[in-house]
Amino acid sequence: MTDNVQTTGKQMGLCLCPVCKKTNPEDAQTCSRCGAHNQARDYSSVQKSWALLITAAILLIPANVYPITTLVNQGKVTHDTIFSGIKHLVHSDMLPIAIIVFTASILVPWLKIIGLAIYLSAISFSLPVSKRRLMAGFHIIEWIGRWSMLDLFVISLTVALVNMGQLLDAKPAPAATAFALVILLTQLAAKVLDTRLLWDRLDLEDDKY
Amino acid sequence: MDLQYASMHHDDIDNSVILCRACDLAVRRRALPSGVRALCPRCHTALYDTPFCSINGMLALCVSALALFLPANLFPVLELHFLGSVRTATVIQGAMAVMDLGYWVVGIAVLVAAVIGPGLLLLSILSQVLLVKMGLNPGWQRDLYKWLLRRHGLFSQLTMLEIYVISFLVSAFQLSDFSDIYFGVGTFSFTMLFLVTLFLQREYNIEHMWSRLND
Ligand SMILES: [Zn+2]
Ligand SMILES: [Zn+2]
Repeated sequence: MTDNVQTTGKQMGLCLCPVCKKTNPEDAQTCSRCGAHNQARDYSSVQKSWALLITAAILLIPANVYPITTLVNQGKVTHDTIFSGIKHLVHSDMLPIAIIVFTASILVPWLKIIGLAIYLSAISFSLPVSKRRLMAGFHIIEWIGRWSMLDLFVISLTVALVNMGQLLDAKPAPAATAFALVILLTQLAAKVLDTRLLWDRLDLEDDKY
Repeated sequence: MDLQYASMHHDDIDNSVILCRACDLAVRRRALPSGVRALCPRCHTALYDTPFCSINGMLALCVSALALFLPANLFPVLELHFLGSVRTATVIQGAMAVMDLGYWVVGIAVLVAAVIGPGLLLLSILSQVLLVKMGLNPGWQRDLYKWLLRRHGLFSQLTMLEIYVISFLVSAFQLSDFSDIYFGVGTFSFTMLFLVTLFLQREYNIEHMWSRLND
């Protein structure tokens, strides 16, 4: 066997510990170093990931349609959705801030849900998508996903600071909870997925030709 | 091929071959120059880098981070001056304010990402460092060490200090529309906490910490 031949751990009867990354024999029930449950592949992870992702996609609708903050300014009540809040920022000449909020609250969640959907479809339906490009996208999704929390932090600070009755008052609105759940569920959907399954599919196709 | 590997001793397997966590490719482990990271040749996931993990350095960073933790959470991170009245908000007050209005999912998310997660991460690393210094004797020391290492991934994922730092800048700009905004002692402490934790996490290497159990 030369180094150029691509061999997977599975073909060698080896299995990577999901927790401490120690290489274990495939037939071992638990990892010899950390005692974690050993599993060559987690086939049920695709279903779990789909379930979490679909729930997140459904919640993304109320998160964007319903207002996320309510502002009372001198008796006048305004409800802001994620999008109208960003429009306000653009109109008040705070373009850099608008771009940051747009990225964290709209771009990242949408990219994450679409990206994960493509990723899961590629595994479930053997889509002819470049596996390497998918993996690169997956790493980006893993990394940027947390930045959606930005909006929730901003809301919590604003609500704590701006509470002066009818004069000036800021409150969260229903979309805030939906948005928080979208972040939580998409992070979980990426976390539970066993990405080795995608590359197994690649090997099967290579064997055919 | 199967025979060749079946006859291998466990530790030989562990040292010579490493499996990619993302695609399960078997890669032969090679020595690396410092500061270089080995990527999986098939899917470009980071496989390993040269362990750069000084126990005393981590201890120093950990103690400074914990010293900053209390002022960062107890002092106001933002001050708002509006028509003569002054309002302040700490990180915890922010989380409590949304919870009081019934948005407890949001409140808990903020609390976990900005206070509880970072706190657990720092305490966990401090305990790990102290356990290593005590010699990692078999028994409760090793058991506790393993327990903490198993949870390290979760703790570091819950820690979102960098996002919180950006968020008080965004809040300050948004609110500057109708009021004067000032940064407080808390802002400084929180930013310092973020920086120290960032350096601590760069110094920390989970695989190096696991490998301390081998000998
Ligand atoms: Zn393990
Ligand atoms: Zn790989």
